[in-house]
Amino acid sequence: MSLLWLFTALSHSSIGQFTQSSRWGFAVIETVHLLALALLGGSVLVVDLKLFGLILKQESTRTIGRDLSRVLLGSLTVMILTGIGLLSEEAGKCYYSPAFRWKMALLAAAVIFYFTLHRRALLHADEGAPTLWARTAAIISLTLWLGVGVAGRAIGLL
Amino acid sequence: MPFLQHICQAFYDSNFGTTIRESDYAFSIIESVHVLSITLLIGTIAVLDLRMLGLILRPVSVKKLARAVFPLTWAGFAVSFVSGFLLFWSEAAKNYSNPAFRIKIILLLLVGLNPLIFHTTIYRRVHEWEVQALTPWRARTAAIVSLTLWSGIIIAGRAIAYF
Repeated sequence: MSLLWLFTALSHSSIGQFTQSSRWGFAVIETVHLLALALLGGSVLVVDLKLFGLILKQESTRTIGRDLSRVLLGSLTVMILTGIGLLSEEAGKCYYSPAFRWKMALLAAAVIFYFTLHRRALLHADEGAPTLWARTAAIISLTLWLGVGVAGRAIGLL
Repeated sequence: MPFLQHICQAFYDSNFGTTIRESDYAFSIIESVHVLSITLLIGTIAVLDLRMLGLILRPVSVKKLARAVFPLTWAGFAVSFVSGFLLFWSEAAKNYSNPAFRIKIILLLLVGLNPLIFHTTIYRRVHEWEVQALTPWRARTAAIVSLTLWSGIIIAGRAIAYF
């Protein structure tokens, strides 16, 4: 079973039928995708700037990381679900789009990094001033998420 | 021709507006910057609003969080305002009659009033409630109004391209 088969199946599914034939379906799903993006971007930014030691210096990094990760994961879930809806409308185009492939690769990297090394950096961040590793983790995280956004925007342009 | 339409047409016809409009990449690049800076602007506002609702970051005082995110919010505002103005410049004559654009401008004016009212009333006494997990109802109302208006701005802004 190749990936192309999966994309074709999504395109032919009832979700795909709906997004391809509906007048406003795609626009509405895209708008929800953007609303969740604002929330995801905001939470990533605050967590990483805190991890870097630029803002909220006296507060607990652990608390901020834990609370905002709920916002982050909630909005990420909405983005993935609406993203599947968007994909179903133009799965064939996306399969061959370099921007889409970059976005998926960067998204996978961002999510894996978030659950592993980034999480470890957050958990250990309260033991004194931000370490070089904590700062590096913050920069990697911001870069990866920004990359996902830029590549995502490029899907519609390339 | 109404006065505002006249101004829009002048922007649209200007050399600079035409250059952006006729360039292969300018509009798309400015638009991408606009979207990313909106994430900065509205994302940080949303985090503060969720704190004011008592949903997240309860151990952090509202004032401290507000101080921490304001520079980011203002940076996001500055970039999205400038990039948004450039986008408007290039298609002002079309924007003038676009219902989504009109709604977005009205919502932007309204969302400007919200912090004005908030800062001159309940935020003045922020020291009395900044550490409370459950904030006063007026602060919570301001947060809900803010979230609603900013969401409306994203929705209307996205819809401009569909009219």
